[in-house]
Amino acid sequence: MTDRKQITIITDSALLEHDTGGGEHPEVPARLDVIRQRFAEGALASVLDYALPQPASREQLLTFHTESWLFRFEEAVLSGRTYIDHPDNQVGYESFTIATLSAGTGVTGIDLLEEEKVRNVFCLTRPPGHHAEPNMPFGFCFFNNCVVAARYWQQRGRQRVCVFDFDAHHGNGIQTAFEEDADTLYISIHEHPSFSYPGTGWAEEKGTGEGRGTILNLPLRPGAGDRQVLALLEGPVQETLERFNPEAIIIAAGFDAHRADDMSGLNYSTGLFHELGRRLKGWERQFCPGALLSILEGGYDLGSLAASVDSYVRGIVG
Amino acid sequence: MFVHYFMTAKPLTIQPEMPVVDACDLLREHSFRHLPVVDEKNVLQGMVTDRDLRSAFPSSILADEERQKIMDRVSTTPVSAIMTREFVSLPVNSTLDDALMLFTSRSIGALPVVDSRERVVGIFSVNDMMAAYRSLFGLGEKGSMLVSIQDTGEPGCLSRLVTALEKENIIFTRLVRSAGVGNREPAAIYLRVNTFNLSSVHRIVEGAGCTIQVSDWDEQEENINNAG
Repeated sequence: MTDRKQITIITDSALLEHDTGGGEHPEVPARLDVIRQRFAEGALASVLDYALPQPASREQLLTFHTESWLFRFEEAVLSGRTYIDHPDNQVGYESFTIATLSAGTGVTGIDLLEEEKVRNVFCLTRPPGHHAEPNMPFGFCFFNNCVVAARYWQQRGRQRVCVFDFDAHHGNGIQTAFEEDADTLYISIHEHPSFSYPGTGWAEEKGTGEGRGTILNLPLRPGAGDRQVLALLEGPVQETLERFNPEAIIIAAGFDAHRADDMSGLNYSTGLFHELGRRLKGWERQFCPGALLSILEGGYDLGSLAASVDSYVRGIVG
Repeated sequence: MFVHYFMTAKPLTIQPEMPVVDACDLLREHSFRHLPVVDEKNVLQGMVTDRDLRSAFPSSILADEERQKIMDRVSTTPVSAIMTREFVSLPVNSTLDDALMLFTSRSIGALPVVDSRERVVGIFSVNDMMAAYRSLFGLGEKGSMLVSIQDTGEPGCLSRLVTALEKENIIFTRLVRSAGVGNREPAAIYLRVNTFNLSSVHRIVEGAGCTIQVSDWDEQEENINNAG
């Protein structure tokens, strides 16, 4: 076991083949390239290794998505459509296959963690997932990578799964999956829905029925930055995690709240992501040793994205 | 903008002869707070509220004997004895503005909606009003966000903005221009756009010569703190 690297990056060059049409679409393949390049040249190079993902199985996708959406998605790309439902959701011929592979990164990471073959996992993937709903794409997302991973982890015996989402945008799809479910917890820090896509994630929404109390939406005003996030981590996030006592933690790791990223009005520093990584690793040690999995969501300014992911991963490995 | 789009149609109504105790049970059972009272032709005769009904019952601090006397009386009292006869109703073609004016000028929680023969066709509550405005402004519509733009009043700025958005295929579902409120709320153009691509929206808005508006509350708060 001593030869295990400190963190394993699950990624595949095939993930670059999801074609968003060029033009001004912000979710571009270069997002993954700049991060890999940063890993190769930075301080992490000697402490990380890479693993290839397996595609998510149909059964795994169906733990959240509907048959009709799988059919509609596959049919749309094979028939040469350039987007589905909205021009935001650009697709190419390979997009169904690649989205399936993207959804499999978390599943592969869970297998590696559960078999104790790796210490930490970061899924370097696209398309992202947290806006995807059971039967439709939203905001560049087609399959909900975090939800598929959470359901898989439950099947592998860890029932109480928390998804913590620090992307600048609320993960409406994750909330849809979890809001009536007592076994899951969704914590999201995001830009206030009055000012930000997708217009969901109100603090008043706390889950319904058996899931009451398992949604924690923490919206931030435009302009909010490190100070506000740290106050939330030390207050409501810590309290909620202690109450829920997770058996596994999945991170919807989005980096578009960085002050250089114009996809949100939030004002995070690169250093904040290091602190997020450090604290999340601390919570893993406290609640569920060996069960922390991070999946890349947003982050569109290429310079700050590479630096922020590097900072976050360094925070995790310590 | 009409109340009949948002009202509860064919609401539960009662007859004036119904005993107060039965009306009370009905309100409790359905968690309603207002009941229109109608005659056999469904023509509005009055309104009863949960407050009217509660006040018909004896106070818990009365002596048992006194309480029992009032309870005996209530069990035979018809709704007609306690209902409000000087009610306000909304004609079915009323606008949300009509209802809002009534809600704000009188302390009423719900208004009966009537046709030209005063027959009850619906009930419209303050909650229905909030739902109507929520729907009009698109609050909570998944996949949308509100963009607030400074309105300088410069001629042609609205048409430039709309043309630029349409040219770039930015879908927007709401467009509101507000002249502002005194020196509290600045003049603004509010757009609800249906896209994740915020950076494109900002570029297009700025390209049309407009400026995105940000809240100045922090500055105001700082001024207040400094003054204090």
